[in-house]
Amino acid sequence: MNNTVLQVRGLCKKYPAFTLREVSFSLEAGRIMGFIGRNGAGKTTTLKSILGLVHPDAGEISYFGLPFAQNEQRIKEQIGYAAGDTSYYQRRRVGEIARMTASFYPGWDDAAYRNYLQRFSLDESKCLRELSEGMKVKFLLTLALSHHAKLLLLDEPTSGLDPVSREELLEIFLRLAEEGVAILFSTHITSDLEKCADDITYIQKGEILATGPIGEFQQSYRLLRQQGALTAEQQAAVLGRCREKAGDTLLVRREKAPLFEEWPVEEPTLEEIMVHLEKEGEA
Amino acid sequence: MNKLLKKELRLTAAPITYFFLAFALMTLIPGYPILVGGFFITLGIFYTFQMARESNDILYTALLPCKKQDVVRAKYAFCVLIELLGWLLCAVLTAVRLTALREAAVYTQNAMMNANFAYLGWLLILFALFNSVFLGGFFRTAYGLGKPFILYSVAGFAVICLAEALHHFPGMAAMNSQTEGFGMQLIVLAAGVLLFVGMTALSCRKAQKNFEQIDL
Repeated sequence: MNNTVLQVRGLCKKYPAFTLREVSFSLEAGRIMGFIGRNGAGKTTTLKSILGLVHPDAGEISYFGLPFAQNEQRIKEQIGYAAGDTSYYQRRRVGEIARMTASFYPGWDDAAYRNYLQRFSLDESKCLRELSEGMKVKFLLTLALSHHAKLLLLDEPTSGLDPVSREELLEIFLRLAEEGVAILFSTHITSDLEKCADDITYIQKGEILATGPIGEFQQSYRLLRQQGALTAEQQAAVLGRCREKAGDTLLVRREKAPLFEEWPVEEPTLEEIMVHLEKEGEA
Repeated sequence: MNKLLKKELRLTAAPITYFFLAFALMTLIPGYPILVGGFFITLGIFYTFQMARESNDILYTALLPCKKQDVVRAKYAFCVLIELLGWLLCAVLTAVRLTALREAAVYTQNAMMNANFAYLGWLLILFALFNSVFLGGFFRTAYGLGKPFILYSVAGFAVICLAEALHHFPGMAAMNSQTEGFGMQLIVLAAGVLLFVGMTALSCRKAQKNFEQIDL
């Protein structure tokens, strides 16, 4: 049985100062995918293209095996979207917006909505402008979670949240994934992904650098502490370098690690991989 | 579509849009360019668009389970509804001027435009311009409001000036009558209806195409 919830193939979008090139990845039901990359790498453009908010120059997007363009309404009923930096109708009350949103979704579950309101300590009588940035994100997530979406597309949803709320949210993501919901979320907080993501898609300068299971991605790199001068062969194997007080750290492919056998080797965190790869990109 | 229109009326609309319908009462002001009341009604709609932009309304709506084309259609439907409500109020007040107040000295001695069938036609032409120039212009970007509104204001005031001046031209005095010359006035009303329907429909279709291509 095909469990693919979202399939993106060859997505291209050209702006004067930025180009999204051949972005392709897929997401299966019940899996959580982290979408990472530095600011301006193309995460939001990709997410917006997937949602039909940005008009791509080329590429195919399908949800549940159906092309988005021909099934827009049906597909949107089954997906939820929340962005950490966007909120709507600052002068309207939480309850007003929720009631209006509910009227568009046949699958709206009022009990679930009440449950999330309580869980996130959201007051229906408050105007959006009275909520903190973190509470606004929680409200958007409440809307997205209350219509039993089969796919959640989240653009930096945890960036404005306190650590306790973030933890709480990650637990909700894990529970939803167990129920078969697929989640794609972009974030800069890579430690969140290490806690809950199954897959990762890494975008750099508009191109997909890697997509697949997070464990495989992390296992494919090694972090070394530089102990002496590099040979030409070692130099060629280095993917990125960071300067630290204790000495430089180098990122290499796992299969190249034996070239540095006398140096201390560690399994890098997602953040360390990202930082080293981006620093190399700058050079 | 009905849900989207309900959303426009209850969530997106600025309260001032509804209050500005009261400018229809300008129909009763003697010695005043009463078509300006129609302009104020469209100014009320402009405030809704201004507030909608600040509220990320287009993004919210585009993410709802609906086609992007319907987002545009709902905005046009909202504007047409407000305009027709305003027009209806003006029509009722025009009927009062043409019947109960037809002999009132302030109206029989009126150098400015009188409220009659031609006035109702000019109002529709003004609304047609709003839908065509402002709404059509707005949906080129789904963000920029200033330029389309300035263009509409210029075009709208040209229409108001023309309508105000027309009955001063030789042979056109009947255009301002409250007691005779209704044939000529009905031609203006019919032209208003045709222009309102035609220009709004054409503008909506073009806006839908433009909106499909816009990056939000």
